[in-house]
Amino acid sequence: MILRLAWRNAWRNPRRTGILVVAVAVGIAGTLLTMALNYGMVFQMVETAIATELGHLQVHAPGFDANPELAVRLTDGGRKGLSTLDGLAGVRAVARRVRGEGLLSSPRASAGVRVIGIEPEREARITRIAASVTDGSYLDGVGRRVLVGEALAERLEVDVGDKVVLTVQDLAGELTGEALRIAGLFVTPSYELDTSTVYLRLDDGQSLLGLGGSVSEIVALADRRSRVPALRARLASELGDGAEVRSWDELQPVLVYLIEVFDQSALIVYGAVFVAMAFGIANVLLMTVYERTREIGIMRAVGFGRRALVATIVTESLLVTALGLGLGFAVALACVLWLGDGLDLSYFAEGLGRYGITSRIVPVLRSGDFTAPVGVAIVTAVLASAWPAWRAVRLRPAEAVRQT
Amino acid sequence: MASAAPLEPPPEGVEARDIAERAEEALRSERTFLAAEMTVISPRLTAPRVVAFENWDDRPGRRSFIRISAPAKDADTTFLKLHPNLWMYVPRVERTMRIPPSMMLQSWMGSDFTNDDLVKESSSLDDYDHHLLGVDPSPEGHEGLRAYVVEYVPHEDAAVVWGRIVTWIEVEHGTPLRQEFYDEGGERLRLMEFGEIEEVDGRYYPRSWTMRPLDKEGHETRIHVREVRFDAAIEDSVFTKRNLTKRR
Amino acid sequence: MAWRNVWRNPRRTALTVAATVFAVVLVMVAVAMGAGTHEKMIEDTVRVNAGHVQVSGPGYRAKRTLEQYLHFDDEVVRRLVRAEGAIGVAPRITSFGLLSQDSATRGVAVVGVDPLREGSVTTLPGRVREGRFLAPEGFREILLGGRLARILSAGVGDEVLLYSIAYSMESAYELFRVVGILKLPEATMDRSLAVISLGDAQEFFVYGDRVSEIAILADDSDSVPVLASAVQRAVGERPAEVHTWRESMPELEQLILLDDAGMYVMLAVLVVVVGFGILNTILMAVLERKREFGVVLALGLKPRAIFTIVYLESLLLALVGLVIGLAIALPLILYLQAHPIALAGDAVEAMELFGIEPQATWKLKPLNPLGSVLTILGVAIVAALYPAAKASRARPVEALRSL
Repeated sequence: MILRLAWRNAWRNPRRTGILVVAVAVGIAGTLLTMALNYGMVFQMVETAIATELGHLQVHAPGFDANPELAVRLTDGGRKGLSTLDGLAGVRAVARRVRGEGLLSSPRASAGVRVIGIEPEREARITRIAASVTDGSYLDGVGRRVLVGEALAERLEVDVGDKVVLTVQDLAGELTGEALRIAGLFVTPSYELDTSTVYLRLDDGQSLLGLGGSVSEIVALADRRSRVPALRARLASELGDGAEVRSWDELQPVLVYLIEVFDQSALIVYGAVFVAMAFGIANVLLMTVYERTREIGIMRAVGFGRRALVATIVTESLLVTALGLGLGFAVALACVLWLGDGLDLSYFAEGLGRYGITSRIVPVLRSGDFTAPVGVAIVTAVLASAWPAWRAVRLRPAEAVRQT
Repeated sequence: MASAAPLEPPPEGVEARDIAERAEEALRSERTFLAAEMTVISPRLTAPRVVAFENWDDRPGRRSFIRISAPAKDADTTFLKLHPNLWMYVPRVERTMRIPPSMMLQSWMGSDFTNDDLVKESSSLDDYDHHLLGVDPSPEGHEGLRAYVVEYVPHEDAAVVWGRIVTWIEVEHGTPLRQEFYDEGGERLRLMEFGEIEEVDGRYYPRSWTMRPLDKEGHETRIHVREVRFDAAIEDSVFTKRNLTKRR
Repeated sequence: MAWRNVWRNPRRTALTVAATVFAVVLVMVAVAMGAGTHEKMIEDTVRVNAGHVQVSGPGYRAKRTLEQYLHFDDEVVRRLVRAEGAIGVAPRITSFGLLSQDSATRGVAVVGVDPLREGSVTTLPGRVREGRFLAPEGFREILLGGRLARILSAGVGDEVLLYSIAYSMESAYELFRVVGILKLPEATMDRSLAVISLGDAQEFFVYGDRVSEIAILADDSDSVPVLASAVQRAVGERPAEVHTWRESMPELEQLILLDDAGMYVMLAVLVVVVGFGILNTILMAVLERKREFGVVLALGLKPRAIFTIVYLESLLLALVGLVIGLAIALPLILYLQAHPIALAGDAVEAMELFGIEPQATWKLKPLNPLGSVLTILGVAIVAALYPAAKASRARPVEALRSL
């Protein structure tokens, strides 16, 4: 019955209530959309980092995290790691790599680089490097080939097909150099990568660095990011002391920090919006209380309890808020669907590029994003109704009835 | 290419590789000793810088030892090359250092030669294919001589950045006269000129070697060989790390 | 009459005013927080790199070798230090070298800094995790990046050999004593950075009074354009290049613009919500007084007059709210600007890792309060239109009937 009362009261003045509902809806929708875009950006950053180099999980020989030297290598060629990963459910792709550093030189210039030897086909299923090739090909062709970032090629004044010499200090400590032909150029969202990293085929890398059959790391991609912690745990326990297992968030903690910053600011923003709404709701409720002073008086005189009165007012508040929530959610969803492909921010492409974000941002709304507003809305509704309810309760039935 | 007159066609029965070998022989025997002065000219210097050094060379073993004798600040600094590695010893601070990859392309002793040049100079024959382009009747700087023009093209897997090196080698005695270093695009980036050719021990030897980078204005490094001894009696112990630290 | 009417229902008036006050304070604090955060972002970034403004020898940014230099004579120093808006001037020399300890040798990036001045521009002195920073009177002291020290097995107190080619083309080599180990967030730097004093660098590289670049920190990012001109004048006829952070790091500026855009969207949403609230309140007041308006209309008052009265009432309320809001917001912001709030949570660790102080900062930019006031005033002006219009359309007949 209280519900019916509350509903009737709410719609007593349709225009007034309507405006309030719209206000709440605007607040919710606006906030949800901005959050969705923000999350879209952060997700992209994370996904880009994962897809550019990190993968979801990496396996190294023990001590690699502290000391990423050539000598700290998987001497079994990654066999144990690979077979363990093959046996785990939820693993989409696995690849091996060797890592080293050296000097890449052309007739005109030279630059210090990181050298990564990859298994081209397997790597293509984990990272986007294959898709990032803008010129030439992806380590195809006969002979010793290297993939170089476009920015680096520019610095060295070389192009696809040109010869460069890579000089390294191999596992035995010997200085060794090798001529390589540039198979292709790549451009990734990471300028850092483009200017400092070159890719070889795994076997070429192994022979150049004197590693024999050893590899430096195994990288794996899971079906879904949410599965990663569980996979990491299982992998770590199965491989034991023989290997170090790291997940993407351990390899690049910055990303996690950014997600948290967004989460925190989201709460603050919601708070502000809801306080604003609270004012509106409280205002309207107060007005209704005054309007219905006489009615309230009669109700109380007739035996309508104080608690019931409060309940009515609170319910009214909740109803209006709920309507606003519903409308807001609907509008937000509609906008997200309408944006579809994503928001085009190519004006900011350069800046975003440095942080690994492409200029098309797809808004991301997760089911979890809806619960926060609902929770805050309920709290707001209740708080907003506090003062009006208190005022209503304070009305003395006798006086109230006499009011005109 | 630097030639006033067009090239004459290559004569029959002459192998490019043989000519290249002769050029090697003209400069080095199996064990060679030389004492030289290196003069570096650069717009940064108010006066040319002169470095005097001695060099013991083991060609087949690809080993080389250099001791700097002047200027005083650098005296007794030594370099040891055991292909492909390079070590250096600095006496004043008593430290031996192995030159890492990142330093290979840095200048050697402030000259236009790099550390890498020191290491690589022993590989001219095996890393290249040689083509005889013709005969130059009047090479630039040596107008009275005739020279074979041989093109050195590095093997696909040779760790050499150059696209090709064109060498003028005197027909009669096999002395190298000039070398032009090209990138793969055909642009000439470095020039090495040999001069002051004298007869020493049956070899016609250039006492002056001048390196000029063509992308930098006003830079030049000239090596003048004061003394050279072929088939010298050089002991193996010279080419050891111990020898790096031994004082004269 | 408008004023009298306003005070007819104090409670409702109070609520409306309160809503306006809330809006004003919120918007102003939020905008100031945005400005403060961005200022901090800029400062944090330039303090890791080379200040807000850099002066360097011609061609330095492209080549970064000893050949591109700038003469750092007393004249230049004096003028730069006195330049408007400069709070820190730090000269540096950057080059390449070989560092050797026992049998380990490593190519390093050598940076020569002025021990007294460096801290006024960059956060380098604060990054020493073991040992200490360079002493002003120190002789041949060196700092190593953390990973570099580990690779060389060098610790505080060890002597390492630095070898390079000086500007005079001579070989340069000296033993330096490690006095501190740095912790640098960027792995490449941590693995290859060696820092010595500017004086030692000038001697080592036979550089005379030359430097590679001078990094200048501004008191505020807004004063950078003026500072850049002052720096250009200070340099005078000397061959040099002057660059600002905007040119060196366009991506930072873009990110700030993007963030601003997002913030303004949110504020718009907020303001709309509050606007609706105000609208509602005034509307209710108007409707309540429908009878009154009817009577007045019947008595001959023109509808336009009613519109004006109601409209003025609303604006008055808004103005009162604005004034009170400003009175609260301005001191609050100024206080927050002087006393940033320390952050808590996991984010703190990550921030400190990057050498960023984990704080929330505020900044009052002169034009921002004006913008906020105008916006809210604008909303009030628009929001009051509808109720006022409604009031003027009250029907005298109906009004009289309900008497």
